[in-house]
Amino acid sequence: MSADETIGISGGKTDLSTKCLGAAAIGLGGGLIGIFMGVANGDKNPFLGWLWGTTFWLSIAIGMLMLVMLFRVFNSQWTPVVRRQMEHCLAVFPWLGLCFLPLILVVWFGGDQAGVLWNWVNPASDVPVAGEVHKVGHDVLLQKKSSYLNVFFFSIRVIGYFAIFCSLSYWMRKVSFTQDRDGDSKWTQLGHNISAAGLPAGALALTFGAFDWFMSLEYHWFSTMFGVWFFAASIRAGLAVAIILCFVLATRTDLKGFYNFKAHQYDLACLSLAFTVFWAYISFSQYFLIYNANIPEETFWYVIREINPNTGERTGWFWVSMGLIFGHFLIPFLSLLWYRNKVEPNKTLKIVVWILCFHLLDLYWNIIPGRIPNSESAVGYDIRYVLGTQLIWGLFTLVGVGGLCIWAVLKSYRESDAEIIPVRDPRIKASINYHE
Amino acid sequence: MANKGIKYGLTAVFNTASDIYTAAAKVRDAGYTSWECYTPMPVHGLDAQMYGLDEKGFPIRSKVPRFTLIGGVTGFFTGMFIVWYMNAYDYPLIAGGKPFFSPIFPFPVFYELTILFAAFGTLFGMFFLNRLPRHNHPVFEHPKFGRTGDDKFMIVIEVEDPKFDDEETKSFLNDIGGKSVGLIREPEEF
Repeated sequence: MSADETIGISGGKTDLSTKCLGAAAIGLGGGLIGIFMGVANGDKNPFLGWLWGTTFWLSIAIGMLMLVMLFRVFNSQWTPVVRRQMEHCLAVFPWLGLCFLPLILVVWFGGDQAGVLWNWVNPASDVPVAGEVHKVGHDVLLQKKSSYLNVFFFSIRVIGYFAIFCSLSYWMRKVSFTQDRDGDSKWTQLGHNISAAGLPAGALALTFGAFDWFMSLEYHWFSTMFGVWFFAASIRAGLAVAIILCFVLATRTDLKGFYNFKAHQYDLACLSLAFTVFWAYISFSQYFLIYNANIPEETFWYVIREINPNTGERTGWFWVSMGLIFGHFLIPFLSLLWYRNKVEPNKTLKIVVWILCFHLLDLYWNIIPGRIPNSESAVGYDIRYVLGTQLIWGLFTLVGVGGLCIWAVLKSYRESDAEIIPVRDPRIKASINYHE
Repeated sequence: MANKGIKYGLTAVFNTASDIYTAAAKVRDAGYTSWECYTPMPVHGLDAQMYGLDEKGFPIRSKVPRFTLIGGVTGFFTGMFIVWYMNAYDYPLIAGGKPFFSPIFPFPVFYELTILFAAFGTLFGMFFLNRLPRHNHPVFEHPKFGRTGDDKFMIVIEVEDPKFDDEETKSFLNDIGGKSVGLIREPEEF
């Protein structure tokens, strides 16, 4: 009995695949309505929501891609059992590229509203500069950056990122799945070599992707650590989903018995602990350096996440920030220190679901807050509310892209002839026998 | 050696890691508590064999991590105290326009002291639990003890164990496959 039959993907009244496609249709449909309304009204919120919802799934896929390549490049003995499940998840990249397409299309064909999400796209967009509202086209900070931040180069880069992600995931899947059929060990070596080249390529793609998609939302601001933050966040999300997926498969399918909670899950959770610390280290360092340097063109990015500069009062974003410190770092950190929490599936699942929820909040905190130009206000801008319409549009997109991604993963399980574990991987014996 | 000195315990020598691995579980199941394994290299899973599993089926874990946690928390608050005392209490000084005390700019101090004290906690906690340092140990008296640093494995059941009995324990050690079972005597103080 194959994996999909057991989880009820095929057969049954309404199988999971169909439900996911339904969710994708409803969610993406709702999100697209928002995008059309956004183009019509010049409303940024649906776009921010779309970017947030898509990025959540993209970050999971990127995390898994980097992990698969890390496992390969280190020739790790314990991972093949887990790696196969991640390889199935890598099938989502082309679909995620498709989900990014509407944003790029608006940049090209949005007319007056081309700059509705990324205001630097349209020289006629407003931008707050030193207490006044200026046009983007007259902003010297953009003029100096325009050799990098222009629509043509931006589009080329975005295509390049997805080309890198899609081709790396294609090869990671191909070397593994083909080895299932012919058992040739050359595929292991090839996967190792591709990973060695793919790790820097993937790292550059996700770093510049983070710059282009999120940092350029406020193109005045810059941080060289931003890409590393996105990497750390992605790996955490990828590990969390890997732990959930392996739990589901190990309790309901043929993976049972191959996946050892005291060994494989323990190590995944240890990695999760390590990257929890790493995420905090990077996020704090970025804050710490900007705080200490105290340069206005950098500090405003954090100021708008804490107070409303017009009144000096704390906004809702302050509580989101506090939530991230305690909820995304301290609580998962302390919980994952305990051995039991890493080996008992019920406890580990609670922690990784918690991490995923706060990962969503972390992305929200990084993407959504922004300066809304307003010449009436003292500092030249207002701050976007935490609970705005972007949240509703974002939830549509989150469900929609999620449905599409889960459908793509189930399709990979169903249609690829790969076994539930890489049966002919040279290291499969060590991986199955891996113990505490 | 002969019959001089205080009885310390009975030793049994084993030739392979798997021999001592299975033997350890038998000693545990027989109900002995004051005993120890000596091996030339770490034997994976020997802890679980010696101490068994808890009611949920997990190996009994070492207590060292508790000392690590205590050390880490102490270090964190020590760092905080140092910064507060120096910067905000004893000699308040404005530097770089920063507040006298804040959890942000001196965080590296908290962080580094957390790690330092956690490492101290681990090291000294391990010393404490192992009752180290000590200059000598009765098992060193055994003529074959040196081989446990090379190619032999040894189980020692101590006299202070409530279940210890000269004859019974000796035959028990023979039953579980121990070679050259013999008594270790602690030399009398001189």
